Amino acid sequence: MVFTRLFPVKRKAMAYTELQTTTNFSFLRGASHPEELVTKAHEYGYKEIAITDRNTFAGIVRAHGTAKELGLRILPGCRLDLLDGPSLLAYPTDKEAWSRLSALLTKGNLRAEKGQCHLYKADVYAHSKSMKFILLPPVALTQNFELDESFRNAAKEYREAFGRSLYIAASRSYLGDDTKRLHRLTQLAGHLDMPLVATNDVHYHTPDRRQLQDILTCIREKCTIQTAGFRLYENAERHLKPIGEMLRLFRQYPDAIRRTKEIAEACQFSLDMLKYVYPEELTTEGRTPQEELIKLTWEGAKGHFGDTIPQKIKATIEHELKFIDQMNYASYFLTVHDLVRFARSQHILCQGRGSAANSTVCFCLGITSVNPAKFDLLFERFLSSARNEPPDIDVDFEHERREEVIQYVYQKYGRDRAAIVATVTQERRKGAIRDVGKAMGLSIDTIERLLHSSWRSDAELYDEQRLKEQGLNPKDKHLIKVLDLTTQLMGFPRQLGQHTGGFVITQGKLTELCPIMNARMEDRTCIEWNKDDIDILGFLKIDVLALGMLTCIRKAFVLAKQQYGLDLTLANIPQDDPAVYEMVSHADTIGVFQIESRAQQAMLPRLRPKTFYDLVIEVAIVRPGPIQGDMVHPYLRRRDGLEDVEYPSEELKNILGKTLGVPLFQEQAMQVAIVAAGFTPSEADALRRSMATFKAQGQVTKFQEKLVNGMVAKGYTSEYAHRIFKQLEGFGSYGFPESHAVSFALLVYISSWLKCYYPDVFACALLNSLPMGFYQPAQIVIDAQKHGVEVLPVDVNDSGWDHLLEPRSPGSGETPATPGPRRFRPLRLGFRQIGGFKEEDAQLLVAGRTSAYTSIPQLRAAGVSQPALERLADADAFRSLGLDRRQALWEVSALADRPIAMFEGQPAESAYEPAVALPDMTASQHVVQDYASTSLSLKAHPVSFVREKLDLLRILRTGDLAGCRDGDLVKVAGLVLVRQQPGTASGVVFITIEDETSTANLVVFHDIFMAYRKVILQSRLLMVEGKLQIEGEVVHVIVKHCHNLSPLLRDLVTPASRDFH
Amino acid sequence: MTTKSYTALWFRHLKTDWFQLKQPALRDKPFVLSISDHGRKLVAAADPKAESQGIFRGATVADARAIIPGIEVLDDIPGLSDKLLGALAEWCIRFTPIAAVDAPDGLLLDTTGCSHLWGGDQAYLQAILTRLQARGYDVRGAMAGTIGTVWALTRFGRQAVIPDPAHQRDELLRLPPAALRLETVTLDKLQKLGLVTVGQFAHMTRSVLRRRFGQNLLRRLDQAFGREEEFLQPLQPVEQYQERLPCLEPIATATGIGIALQRLLEALTKRVQKEGKGIREAQLKAYRLDGKIEHQKIATNRPTDNAPHLFKLFELKIQEIEPDLGIELFTLEATKLEDLSPVQEELWAGDQGLETRPIAELLDQLTGRFGSGCIRRYLPDEHHWPERSIKPAQDLSEKPAIPWRTDRPRPTILLPQPIPIQVTAPVPDYPPLLFRHQDKVHQIKKADGPERIEREWWLEEGPHRDYYCVEDQDGARYWLFRSGHYTGDRDQQWFLHGYFP
Repeated sequence: MVFTRLFPVKRKAMAYTELQTTTNFSFLRGASHPEELVTKAHEYGYKEIAITDRNTFAGIVRAHGTAKELGLRILPGCRLDLLDGPSLLAYPTDKEAWSRLSALLTKGNLRAEKGQCHLYKADVYAHSKSMKFILLPPVALTQNFELDESFRNAAKEYREAFGRSLYIAASRSYLGDDTKRLHRLTQLAGHLDMPLVATNDVHYHTPDRRQLQDILTCIREKCTIQTAGFRLYENAERHLKPIGEMLRLFRQYPDAIRRTKEIAEACQFSLDMLKYVYPEELTTEGRTPQEELIKLTWEGAKGHFGDTIPQKIKATIEHELKFIDQMNYASYFLTVHDLVRFARSQHILCQGRGSAANSTVCFCLGITSVNPAKFDLLFERFLSSARNEPPDIDVDFEHERREEVIQYVYQKYGRDRAAIVATVTQERRKGAIRDVGKAMGLSIDTIERLLHSSWRSDAELYDEQRLKEQGLNPKDKHLIKVLDLTTQLMGFPRQLGQHTGGFVITQGKLTELCPIMNARMEDRTCIEWNKDDIDILGFLKIDVLALGMLTCIRKAFVLAKQQYGLDLTLANIPQDDPAVYEMVSHADTIGVFQIESRAQQAMLPRLRPKTFYDLVIEVAIVRPGPIQGDMVHPYLRRRDGLEDVEYPSEELKNILGKTLGVPLFQEQAMQVAIVAAGFTPSEADALRRSMATFKAQGQVTKFQEKLVNGMVAKGYTSEYAHRIFKQLEGFGSYGFPESHAVSFALLVYISSWLKCYYPDVFACALLNSLPMGFYQPAQIVIDAQKHGVEVLPVDVNDSGWDHLLEPRSPGSGETPATPGPRRFRPLRLGFRQIGGFKEEDAQLLVAGRTSAYTSIPQLRAAGVSQPALERLADADAFRSLGLDRRQALWEVSALADRPIAMFEGQPAESAYEPAVALPDMTASQHVVQDYASTSLSLKAHPVSFVREKLDLLRILRTGDLAGCRDGDLVKVAGLVLVRQQPGTASGVVFITIEDETSTANLVVFHDIFMAYRKVILQSRLLMVEGKLQIEGEVVHVIVKHCHNLSPLLRDLVTPASRDFH
Repeated sequence: MTTKSYTALWFRHLKTDWFQLKQPALRDKPFVLSISDHGRKLVAAADPKAESQGIFRGATVADARAIIPGIEVLDDIPGLSDKLLGALAEWCIRFTPIAAVDAPDGLLLDTTGCSHLWGGDQAYLQAILTRLQARGYDVRGAMAGTIGTVWALTRFGRQAVIPDPAHQRDELLRLPPAALRLETVTLDKLQKLGLVTVGQFAHMTRSVLRRRFGQNLLRRLDQAFGREEEFLQPLQPVEQYQERLPCLEPIATATGIGIALQRLLEALTKRVQKEGKGIREAQLKAYRLDGKIEHQKIATNRPTDNAPHLFKLFELKIQEIEPDLGIELFTLEATKLEDLSPVQEELWAGDQGLETRPIAELLDQLTGRFGSGCIRRYLPDEHHWPERSIKPAQDLSEKPAIPWRTDRPRPTILLPQPIPIQVTAPVPDYPPLLFRHQDKVHQIKKADGPERIEREWWLEEGPHRDYYCVEDQDGARYWLFRSGHYTGDRDQQWFLHGYFP
């Protein structure tokens, strides 16, 4: 016979709150997202649930956001793991307690390295006011079925420290001795007068996450599932349980259940109570922020427009200021202005971008140099339409000097008031496969195969066919398990990193809002929340970003001042210069910001930009978003008048008018969703976000339905609606907002202008700012030479660390102000071009160069180190001493053994050495050595040495291709500069090769690539046969056959082969 | 003083050759061995087929895959070259007593006065190379008067040629500097200076060379030209506990082997006795005429110097030795020794369970006769699932890797197969009230549990178990479990899994 229930549970109005919940923000412990746990709790009818991650609040905001949507209450809290005592769960009852807990965690974070938190009992005692605590007992009893003595002592101590705020946790995890343990805990609780409270030590939201939790344990313990042993939990009981089940488990301890409610009632703190306050020190002389902003704006306006400000500008400024006042954004603008002002005082170039950056106010404040008079960017359209969140201004600074700005922020506001926002690094596909594969005991090779057989996109993980191709069995159970767990693990937070430059700055102590922690980089501190989290809470974030081109432009400005006496700024470069647009239209853009890539260069002659706005479009159009959304060709056709410009409706004409009916910017895509499909602004924003993160796979389909249905309901065709959705999808991850494109376009124009009029200055500044952009020094040098700049080699008597422009010798001076054919300053390559040469050595060398060096020992005497001298010899930098690199190296290497101390200054032994005749170097050997040492050669192009042989094979020079006809079959050879396989181009590989005349662009289709992959991947010198494709100025070779001619190059170096006989 | 003679051997594809020998399927397809380096996978060795396609050591595996999409990638075995070279050097002992490993891919043999047995240097070298090649190794070799010269010749010069001392110098002068075993830095410098053969700088004034390239270059030059003597590090510093028995006539019978074994054992045990040691492991090697070496290994549970006992252990294995055409050399080596102190003798006499000598010897014999596994001893293994929580011990001396669990109740007798029982129990997780086993009804008086244990999901799917410790009316204690949650089919659900004392 079977009893149904021995002690039937009374289902009366007893409620339970789960107070111990570990999310996956306790990295490698919790196996469910905070969102999943909250959603499940809601399903089970929980009214509130606590989130208690280990020494962190990192997952709380997400839980809070989800709970708010579902109408649940979150008890923010955390599990305090201490170095000198049993762990505690801590729950703040009010805002002050939250601040104390946050300060406590900060203390623990800052004394440990990144990712750790070192806390002691004493710290907790000092921060314990208005906090509720639950003491966590050990997992097991001792052999005598007792609670460990040290635990009992600790409990006593805690009880004295915390008084009635301390509870002791009781869990029933089916460990066999649950009954005994509960008994002992009750005894202890009674003994110490400390109430017992039920928790379930939740680690995941459903029992089937146990497997993933085991995997996480293995990753954490760096073992495999086969060897993990007792480090795994023995059962799956640590899941969120239905309230009824919890009541049943604790039926003998109803008080323990009831007390969960007691704690929940006491803890009324909610994250909504956190209020962000702007810092105060932004204003002067007691003005309000708005007054301060008004003052600064008009001052700036006077600076730009003089005393008579045009009426239109005046009206715009007043309009904007009024709007800013309404939305209470003045402090935000002032904060940005403060950074910009600091940067300017330090001569650090900067430029704002983003929706609010292109306002007239920002122009007046000097945040941007884009003259707003030229655009009708209605800035409040994007501000007011979105939710009530702060405007978005990113400020780019010179990449080499951004750190100064960051440290300024820390100094001005203090580390307790300013910190960088976190980024949550997620498990991506590859990492997840590696982690799960390793934990499941797969060999490294099998893991590699798995990586190879998964798709490029995250949408569809695996394909049976591809698994089979890699020699894996898609039916294998272990493998299926691995794949299944990988899918679950993807999207899990793995660690907190620092945002590229997003700062949170507050009036009060930041630690009162959230914990601060050390970043991996020295001198950086971060908060635990990322930008989505602080968005939810309405905190201000300000982006301090780095941009290489600004460094280059600033260096160019300095050189232009030195060499030509020009005072250039971002704002005073002559605008709308036809010569600049002419140069750009010929794709003569090596080194220019943004439009130097091969794809951009192919687009330029088609688009032929003639106005600034054309550059804005150019910047935005060559992006994966528009390309995948198939927007490029329709735009070009419409622009060339090959297709009528039409709009499906008047409302869309307003949005898409300036881009001829084709959405090219992110703002347009979102506007379309709002206007044509009836999305609310925040839905449109959610749509954009959901597309950017692959985690929310399911949501994309939901949005697609909503968009298409919405549009159809408003009378658009379903086909058009689907097309719009596809375009939006492309934008999700890669779209470019117009407000950013405008700011970038200005830098495009300025760098083009510099290149056009002062190629010497531009090339020199660019070389001194490397690494950045697409091109190697060799290409930049060749390009400068093509523009008439003389480039001189590195030499111990003429070079500095940086590349220099040499002043023209007296007598040849003329006024350079008028553009036109001129003689430029010669560009002298600097020591930084020599591989492995150190800056200190360069400094010693220059300092010791009081008069020209005449012998190598003089350099040694100046303090230049032996290895540095060898590097100089390798770079052939002793020509002014009459030595070539080989002779110089012979001399230099003897110096290791030079007379020192009391013999110093005496003639070296080498003075008496018998003369040794070293073999002469050929020109080609010199060129190859030049490349090895300085990655470029001014002597000749390597290909020129094999030209005779290439001529015999009737291989054309790349420079001759333009003179051929479209469709001609040609053979061409050159050094491989770039091999690219863009994700958007369905397996097509783009190769650029270079010979002594020019470069050639090759297009290799997938089948040809597969046939010649080995040749293509291994060739240094590649020869191809193919068909010419000439469209205007754009010349491509559609490759049919490939040959590896690299052996020809090898003969240049060592005629005597080192191979076997 | 006799003229010195050295032979160098160079195994160009040592590791890949070995993999091919182990996995004949690899002969027909290109493959590489890979190692992980800072998260990247690099090629540690490529077989000739892969090399012919341009894949060499040091390339990334990703590149190798790009060149040959289907290329086989196997995990490299750490320390494999050393192990293989060690074995090859040992094999070479049939040609010379002094063989040295020349890491990472070569051997150096002191072949002074060895070649006359093979009818001259040429035939001797050829014999070595042919036999090694027949075994499947891609090997090059040379023989000359200095180590420097033979090393250079095998790798950069003419193979298998033995230049007389006068020609050695000319040969060397034509070789590149790398043939002198120089550091990369020096080689780079020489290369940059255009000195691409030894001849271009060998004649230079010593001080000129020393100042620029250091003492090492001079030393290497001197060694190569025989101006400075170089010594080999022989493979085996003469084995301390090894006995050799060369046979005048090849032995091909079990009796013969037995006699040889007895003589070796006597000699060996006498030696260890003298030093107060006992043998734990010993290995007999029989070198066959055809070049194969037959191995037999025995292990004991306690150190012993008892020759008859050891002979009994080996006796069982004599049948397994295949003499083929005959055995020319036997060696017996004690590979593991332990102190055989008198104190321990006393302890044994004290009859401490397993610690007695007769039991150890009995076990050795039983194991030898009936094969391992007839008598087992169990040790704890780190698994929650009860069936997997114990594992058989390897031998008497094996210590448990983890202590026996005491934090959870576990029966002293665990049944290999849980026995279904009939139970009356309230649901869902109360202990049973009574159970019926082998027609006996057990009234449960005391119970503890449940302890819920889930299966090891990576091995098998299935329901979890709720274990209870129960005590019946007779005071006997049992370990019972219910399989899975209560389903209604109670007959299938309850099992007896063990007995407590």
